[in-house]
Amino acid sequence: MNELGKKLARIAFDERGADYLLAMREEHGNVAPSMIRKGEDAGDVRVDLPYQLVNILSNIYPWVPKGRIAVVCRRCDEKALNEIIKRNLMDRDRLILIGLACTREQVALCRCSDPVPSKVDIGEANAPVREDPLMVKLDSMSQQDRLKFWTSEFRKCNKCFGCTLNCPVCFCDDCVLEEHTFTPELGIPPSFAFHLVRSMHMSDKCIECGECERSCAGGIPLLTLRKMANRDMKRMFGYEAGDKEKVSPLLTTLEGKLLEDGEHVC
Amino acid sequence: MSVNHVLTTCPYCGTGCQFFLQVVDDRLVGVVPCKTDEISQGRLCIKGYHAHAFVHHPDRLKTPLVRKDGQLVRASWHEALGRIVSEVKEIVAHHGPDSVLVLASAKCTNEENYLIQKLARAAIGTNNVDHCARLCHASTVSGLILSFGSGAMTNTTPEFDNADCILVTGSNTMEAHPIIASHMFKAHAKGAKVIVVDPRETPLSRMAYRSLHQKPGTDIAWINGMMKVIIDEDLYDRDFVKNRTTGFEALKKVVDGYTPDRVEQITGIAGKDLIDIARTYAKSEKAMIAYAMGVTQHSNGTNIVRALANLTMLTGHLGKESVGLNALRGQCNVQGSCDSGGLPDFFPGYQKVDDPETVKKFEKAWGVKLPHEKGLTLTWAVQQAAEGKIKAIVAFGENVMLSDPDITHLEKALKKLEFLAIVDIFPSETALLADVVLPAACYAEKDGTFTSTDRALRPVRKAVDPPGEAMPDWKIACELGRRFGVPGFEFKSPSEIMDEMAGLAPIYGGIDYERIDRQVIRWPCPSKDSPGAKFLHAGSFKMGRGVFAPVEHTDPQEVPSPEFPMILTTGRNLFQYHTGTMTRRSSKLEREAPEPYVELNSKDAKAFGVVDGERVRVSSRRGSVSLAARVTDNIIPGTMFIPFHYAEAPANRLTNPALDPIAHIPELKVCAARIEKG
Repeated sequence: MNELGKKLARIAFDERGADYLLAMREEHGNVAPSMIRKGEDAGDVRVDLPYQLVNILSNIYPWVPKGRIAVVCRRCDEKALNEIIKRNLMDRDRLILIGLACTREQVALCRCSDPVPSKVDIGEANAPVREDPLMVKLDSMSQQDRLKFWTSEFRKCNKCFGCTLNCPVCFCDDCVLEEHTFTPELGIPPSFAFHLVRSMHMSDKCIECGECERSCAGGIPLLTLRKMANRDMKRMFGYEAGDKEKVSPLLTTLEGKLLEDGEHVC
Repeated sequence: MSVNHVLTTCPYCGTGCQFFLQVVDDRLVGVVPCKTDEISQGRLCIKGYHAHAFVHHPDRLKTPLVRKDGQLVRASWHEALGRIVSEVKEIVAHHGPDSVLVLASAKCTNEENYLIQKLARAAIGTNNVDHCARLCHASTVSGLILSFGSGAMTNTTPEFDNADCILVTGSNTMEAHPIIASHMFKAHAKGAKVIVVDPRETPLSRMAYRSLHQKPGTDIAWINGMMKVIIDEDLYDRDFVKNRTTGFEALKKVVDGYTPDRVEQITGIAGKDLIDIARTYAKSEKAMIAYAMGVTQHSNGTNIVRALANLTMLTGHLGKESVGLNALRGQCNVQGSCDSGGLPDFFPGYQKVDDPETVKKFEKAWGVKLPHEKGLTLTWAVQQAAEGKIKAIVAFGENVMLSDPDITHLEKALKKLEFLAIVDIFPSETALLADVVLPAACYAEKDGTFTSTDRALRPVRKAVDPPGEAMPDWKIACELGRRFGVPGFEFKSPSEIMDEMAGLAPIYGGIDYERIDRQVIRWPCPSKDSPGAKFLHAGSFKMGRGVFAPVEHTDPQEVPSPEFPMILTTGRNLFQYHTGTMTRRSSKLEREAPEPYVELNSKDAKAFGVVDGERVRVSSRRGSVSLAARVTDNIIPGTMFIPFHYAEAPANRLTNPALDPIAHIPELKVCAARIEKG
């Protein structure tokens, strides 16, 4: 057990009363997600790789009916959990957040404007990055050139669905991207609709963790696309995803009243 | 309540991506990509993301089955294994050991393939052991062994990232090897010129610097044409040719006949495009070639592979990082099943079965007398079965009834057998014809290793228990070996099997489970202190000099005729895998590609009066299938494409069983066919 493992085990189990700790640790010369049980050796824990632990948790959460789960959370993970909890998909009382402040390098890789969790348990707070260089470049291009840029990027999409499968705030039971109208079977690359439907659909949920971009087998700069859609969301509705209380302005009646609980989770 | 993330290797194509299986109480609930893996780098394709989906499918075979009064009925392991051994022994007693064929499997681990070939050679006494590599890269293995002395991918998958020219031919890389394509994109983003030569407009060709379409079966012509341009314009690597090869003058003479005009006539590729790609490829410093079934599955497949080998030697594009000739292999362990000796002419590690010294070495190690002559290849043996010369087949996980050419004839051959035993995870089309069916564990239910297309040893780790009474193939092989009464089948773990194999196959000499548990090692790895090899043929070839083999273009065995005016070619799509036993039981994959179809060009569709989505009948000299038409401009006029995944319209009812004379690979990529409404 490394020092980090000891520290995390102490925080999770001794100080905060968790039954499980979801973290990353070294296994077989690689870094593996691990659901560590109370009393178990935490092993050599690592926090330097941006695994999407909230998404990993979402997959197993329905299968773990009891006990409190501590999760190592970056600021984006914390915001993803807020979106999940707001939709009653997880119970806040069963979750213990261990705050991880991202390194300067990671903040740069994510062009992250909000990198510090509300409580820092591990790491040191680093300054945000205000600009996404690609977004700045795209902003300066003509609409036609932007279309050309995205068309050539989307050609690399081979429909692995990694951008949805690895997304912590993708939680519809029936995915609109699997609807044949938008995404006909067989064809790759899928049409513009695939990316644009996803882009609009995620704009009141996306917390800019960047996992879609990191897992894209085509190397498409999806985080930039997300940031651009989120910027529009903010401009048009004054709304940013990830808040504990605030409900998406899209989840309202035509009169502007918020929808009742559970009426519309997506 | 236990939750585990088990790091293992994807069971689909040969890229060797690693992922974590999410396990809750002996049940798989998901797949998480592994970010630290140097090959997959946290990325997977749609098949990988759903690799858990078929594992708990209710159709899994759970008990042994034995045919009684014409019906397959449940039996005990004792009875089923006993039946196989007594039937095979009886047939061997009457007709000799060479009347039996054993089929290994590219879906089984290295350790299992090692035991399966040992079972054939040491327990039954025949070199008649082969597997589905015969249908995919047999011509690569035979062609490259003749040209270079070693029949494997020369580079590693991550080396594509830094190439500055990638020539892709006969490979629909984005669909068949999505994560290798992902590495090609990295090079593309840095400005590499991607050249695609394929009869179909593949998704990759839309990003290519040049996308050229040759008529199926005309590859030697354009490859020779490239070499003529390169020699005429003095763009070849004189030092490499002089110091590292033999046979240049003969090559020069043969390729001289392939002028751009003549190449255009044969292939349909415009002369100016040919000249351009020849120059681009020759002048690039880091040039890599990637190819797959479009090159190999021809009755002259070995020669096409040798033509590509000639091209790399002529330009000196070999033996360096991000420079080489790369056969992309299509099954999780097809590289390893060849390495482990699942071939009729090679012991493990490509050691010849007809070399007396090698035979002596294996006789000493295994403590039995061994046959001295090469065995029969899968495709040849099946033809022998039709003539009654092969009496029994024991097959581990092959579904020949969908994967092999001309299945109408094949079914007759199988029905003529006195005995057929199948080991599989699902009741495949072939299993339904068997006398005994044994239930096997799948990749998620056993330990072992796969060898990826780039020669890396990839651990396979057990995540859940097999269903019912199913057992891993290595245990089944051990049980059979012991019941045949020969020594050397008393293994307690796959790790022990690898130790035995490493002791006998020098290219695996330094491999053991402790080493590969934590590091990526690629063969050749002759000793424990060897780190393995990244790219091959640096400095010299295994056999000294590389051999130029002048090869001429020849027509495919079948060319269009008035009765069958079209060329039919076959292959895969992204979402289904081979005979579909796994993917068609994975709902998300089946959603994407639920039914069989034939692709044809819009001009042909118009000529035949066929519209998109219409039901059509496609026929060849061997049979016909009924399926939906997909009208597209992504295939050249005169050619049709049918994926071979679908039992309800099997492409291989149509394909031509004509064989390459050296590799015995069938001409799955070209036959003459016609299309009719209805």
